[in-house]
Amino acid sequence: MARTKEAPRRDPLQPQRLVDRGIVDHRRTIEFTFDGVTYKGHPGDTVASALLANGVMLAGRSFKYHRPRGILSAGSEEPSALLELRDGARREPNTKATTAELFDGLVAKSQNRWPSLDFDVMSINSLLSKVFVAGFYYKTFMWPAALWEKLYEPAIRRAAGLGRASDAADPDVYEKTTAHTDVLIIGGGPAGLMAALAAAQSGKRVILVDEQAALGGRAIDDGSIIDGRPAREWVRSVEAELASRPDVTILRRTTVFGTYDGGTYGALERVNDHVAVPQKHQPRQRLWRIVAKRAVLATGATERPIVFGDNDRPGVMLAGAVRTYINRFGVVPGDRVVVFANNDYAVSTVTDLINAGANVVAIVDSRPKPSEAISRIASSAGTKLLSGAVVTRALGKKRVTGALIRTQSGAEVRLFCDLIAVSGGWNPNIQLSTHVGGKPLWNDDLLCFLPGSLPPGMLLAGAVAGNFSLPKALGSGADAGATAVANGTKSVSIPVPKAAEDSVRIAPLWRVEDHSGKAFVDFQNDVTDTDVELAEREGFRAVEHLKRYTTLGMATDQGRTANVNALAIMADITGRTIPQTGMTLARPPYVPVAVGALAGHHRGKSFKPTRLPPSYKWAKEQGAVCVETGLWLRPSYFPRPGEKDWLDTVKREVNTVRNAVGICDVSTLGKVDVQGKDAAAFLERVYMNNLKSLAIGKARYGGMLREDGILFDDGTVARFAENQYFITTTTANAVRALQHMEYCAQWLWPELDVQIISATEQWAQYAVAGPKSRELLRKIVDPEFDISDAGFPYLQVGEITVCGGVKARLFRLSFSGERAYEIGVPARYGDALMRQLWEAGREFGACAYGTEALGVMRIEKGHISGPELNGTTTPRDVGLGGMVSKTKDFVGRTLGTRPGIVDPERPQLIGFRPVDRSVRLRSGAHFLAKGANPTAANDEGYMTSVAYSPSNGHWIGLGFLKHGPERVGEIVRAYDPVRGGDTLVEVVKPVFVDPEGARVRG
Amino acid sequence: MRIACPYCGERSLDEFIYSGDATVRRPDASAPTASEDYVKYVYERTNPPGMHRELWYHAAGCHAWLVVSRDISTHAISSVELAKDVALANNQAMKESA
Amino acid sequence: MANMLKPTSAFSHLDPLSTPSLSVAPREDLTMASFAAGKDQVQAVMATIKSAYGVDLPRRPARVSGKGIAFVWAGPDQWLAVAERGANRDMERELKSLLSAMASVVDQSDGRVVVRVSGPLSRQVLAKGIPIDLHPRAFGANAAAITHASHIGVIMWQLEDASTFELAMFRSYADSFAHWLIETAEATLPATA
Repeated sequence: MARTKEAPRRDPLQPQRLVDRGIVDHRRTIEFTFDGVTYKGHPGDTVASALLANGVMLAGRSFKYHRPRGILSAGSEEPSALLELRDGARREPNTKATTAELFDGLVAKSQNRWPSLDFDVMSINSLLSKVFVAGFYYKTFMWPAALWEKLYEPAIRRAAGLGRASDAADPDVYEKTTAHTDVLIIGGGPAGLMAALAAAQSGKRVILVDEQAALGGRAIDDGSIIDGRPAREWVRSVEAELASRPDVTILRRTTVFGTYDGGTYGALERVNDHVAVPQKHQPRQRLWRIVAKRAVLATGATERPIVFGDNDRPGVMLAGAVRTYINRFGVVPGDRVVVFANNDYAVSTVTDLINAGANVVAIVDSRPKPSEAISRIASSAGTKLLSGAVVTRALGKKRVTGALIRTQSGAEVRLFCDLIAVSGGWNPNIQLSTHVGGKPLWNDDLLCFLPGSLPPGMLLAGAVAGNFSLPKALGSGADAGATAVANGTKSVSIPVPKAAEDSVRIAPLWRVEDHSGKAFVDFQNDVTDTDVELAEREGFRAVEHLKRYTTLGMATDQGRTANVNALAIMADITGRTIPQTGMTLARPPYVPVAVGALAGHHRGKSFKPTRLPPSYKWAKEQGAVCVETGLWLRPSYFPRPGEKDWLDTVKREVNTVRNAVGICDVSTLGKVDVQGKDAAAFLERVYMNNLKSLAIGKARYGGMLREDGILFDDGTVARFAENQYFITTTTANAVRALQHMEYCAQWLWPELDVQIISATEQWAQYAVAGPKSRELLRKIVDPEFDISDAGFPYLQVGEITVCGGVKARLFRLSFSGERAYEIGVPARYGDALMRQLWEAGREFGACAYGTEALGVMRIEKGHISGPELNGTTTPRDVGLGGMVSKTKDFVGRTLGTRPGIVDPERPQLIGFRPVDRSVRLRSGAHFLAKGANPTAANDEGYMTSVAYSPSNGHWIGLGFLKHGPERVGEIVRAYDPVRGGDTLVEVVKPVFVDPEGARVRG
Repeated sequence: MRIACPYCGERSLDEFIYSGDATVRRPDASAPTASEDYVKYVYERTNPPGMHRELWYHAAGCHAWLVVSRDISTHAISSVELAKDVALANNQAMKESA
Repeated sequence: MANMLKPTSAFSHLDPLSTPSLSVAPREDLTMASFAAGKDQVQAVMATIKSAYGVDLPRRPARVSGKGIAFVWAGPDQWLAVAERGANRDMERELKSLLSAMASVVDQSDGRVVVRVSGPLSRQVLAKGIPIDLHPRAFGANAAAITHASHIGVIMWQLEDASTFELAMFRSYADSFAHWLIETAEATLPATA
């Protein structure tokens, strides 16, 4: 390893760029701006590598102390170089300069500085750092609490916030997709590539995922030689072979961010993050759900910094990152370099620096006795080797200007340099092995956590398993790939390429004792070694407490460069070992995932699917105002010109139904076809009321209970044939009611012969209600069918035809209390039938009505609906106690007789009207006896539904009141402190229209 | 989590709805102890770590009710049976023991 | 008396898409009925269908096709019969007359709408909303599944053709489904300049 004779050539326009190194495209030059200054870079650069190529090391200010920060790493572990990228609606804060790919015209800005990065007013915080210790926010802003929202929070946010997100809606689209595979290989470094090659031999499905734009991982970063040729050539040949296999998928720019149960993995593909604007319709990012029979974790390792004084100064960089910038990007991050390490990774770092033309000022090796490899490189490079020495402090503010060193003998040495390359050893990237509960294991030789127990189906390859040297990484990759497809039988072995064995010897050094200046453990959260000591003194010794007290390990880097150092320091202080101190388990996501990517197509109006009833188009033509009820979009009311508000419209609709006829789309009701020899017996057990006596051609109201005796749903049961029933459920409960019946049929009573099929959507069903409803229907129903009151009385059902032979079902049911019918036709005729009804209704003055009028009329009749079927009420509560069968077993029967359910003190359904008829009622009001104090003990019930009743000319209400039916005529107080309501109401029978019920029968 | 529906094959958790303990049986409503039996049946549950037998409903799939044996500490599923088959077998066993 | 009611499509804005790599079109010409075998009637139902149409009903998710008719597994002991309506074919009536005593037959011609997706990109497009494994080795000719697509329940099947799928969903979801499908198709088709 000799010093190269002459320094490699540099690009005159990019002072730190080597023209013949790296895998960037040197032939093309692109431009970008950083804080308004234009710089040049190449395709293949990251923002960080391009900044470094231009000699820019100062990238931002820190979170709490506003200290100048540079670029620490070259990957997604970056805690410091966080930038605002792009402009306008695409402006995105806190992006890592080390992973953001450069594109022509990119606009990047530093964050957390004012007025400029160079001169930041808030860096005064640095001088107040005695105040801003760990736990500062908890201690300082506790009281008075009233000041939190007004003063503390806005001030803290302004002072401590990092970037600014755009306020505009995200203009890009995102998509989600699912992939199934035999083998998922996570990481496209040397181990992952070997695993992919081995697995691909089987012809099984393989997905290889890699975070970067170019495969190769550390083989590229380290400029390795594989099989006698540069790694990039070997990588290219592997890519070509994988590409030739139809069942191998390579996902570049994709990060697996989470491991989930059942071999499921979440991954984020940055499809178009590397261009200014995605092409039309093309997604910015794609979220992958990958279901894998086996997964090979080949995620490599992340280098640790060493904690010493002012170790956050721009120009202190991880040794591996220095090598990455040289070998991958052709950039020398500094010209005079001190290499500070506790392990033999310093050897190859020195070699690379010298080959890149940098001057290595000294190797500072904390180990008292130099390893053979270190001695060899020092002598062959002619570099000063300081064994048993440590860097106690980085000198310089916005850029390192030197290093203060304490030698083995305790002497202080000051060296001039512009870069300190640090290696504190490597932490395997084990996070994905712990997401579903795997416990990491400490390894005393390698001084790192390795994956312990693994999720089912996961295998390890390469550095994540502690195989830090290249030959071991390649070999373990080949083994893991072969094992992953072996299926317990013989595995296919493939030849493992040759590579040089590097020494990975290491001796512990986590922080430098007796340093001066601030020594950072977590750069992103500004957590120093003294914060860890403070946490210990205040009793936050457990790792989970340490994390929460100091905020260590949080934020976008998830403490990947910080966590192990922190707990090693804590172990040191408390005199425990690292395994005794413990390790926080990682949770997904491994890297930040945009909410937009998680949502995919499902945002805005597409957040959830919308169900449209059959008459929707017609209703919109009529100017209907629609309302979301569950997934359905239903007409709420149909305003006409001259009506001043919704209440005006609803009054007109109610009056029209009560005096003439109205039409309402009720297709959304759940409809279930129940057939089979035991259909009758089955329904007897599902419904609380007697259905045995229901004759063919008749319908009956029915209620279902839960097994605990609480009302679950209601609707009608119609019998079309001996063994054929057609039932309706509420719109809201349609899905749950079907599920409940299937539960009863499959689990409770599997011996019954019953078939249950949903028919909700087969029928477009319209309520035709009002005194003139029969006359209207007479014009629709084909003449051979008798719909006279004698031929088709109340609660009759029948299969008929309409409009010249279209099959239809007619039900004489009423929710409004008027003479009414429901008529159903196959849904494809729904739109046409509505138009026919509308035409035919003209001469009767018919109107269309929506859910508002429907609700008003059912309240006028005291019919229960959602507010009364609220999951806490019993049949007796809602006035249906008499309907409950005492002669059969059914779901809810036994517990429906519990003392608490039949307690006479339970509030019961009753009606209300305001004493002052001009007053508006509000649901949610609680009832109090007149003169009673408004306390919970005096609470006598609550109002559930209110409406302005056009038929009565004032507001009316339904509600539950203790002993309600016995208190008709009494005046009680409807108390609504939340909305300032306090009204006297009279208790009345819960029927406000046609109390005799004569109208429904005509 | 993924559940292997005996009909549809392995499907993701989001197709299923959990519905409680599959070891309790709906008591005889005519028994003299029916009141207490039903309180136990509806309300009383232990929740020990380890293996549970649970009812699941394949809501977004074939609508089959399933009895899933699952270790609630690890989410490892050791068997998935059709609830109907389990219920019929239980009925048969009760008949034979009677 | 002539039928005065004209059927309307459930899709208010699904413009059929036809490119070399992907085609999307609603199938408005189908008559469908689901039928569920009564207790202990599965063998009888299967034998009846076999003698009438010459096909063996699948007991697991799959599709079988006979002359002018296809049967898709639609749940335990339950199937969906699908045929072209032609002049006046009514699947419910047809099956009721065959299976009257042994199965419950329910008309689904209107309850469900069907979309056909075909072409080399169809799997890739569908995978963006459907969580099941659509690889040809896992979901090939005449495969069928009940699952969901973009949060909308579907019964889907593949025809004999290697990349032609049909998806049946409840009618009210038609527009939401079409919106997802077209948006996804646009994002998947090769970008246009």
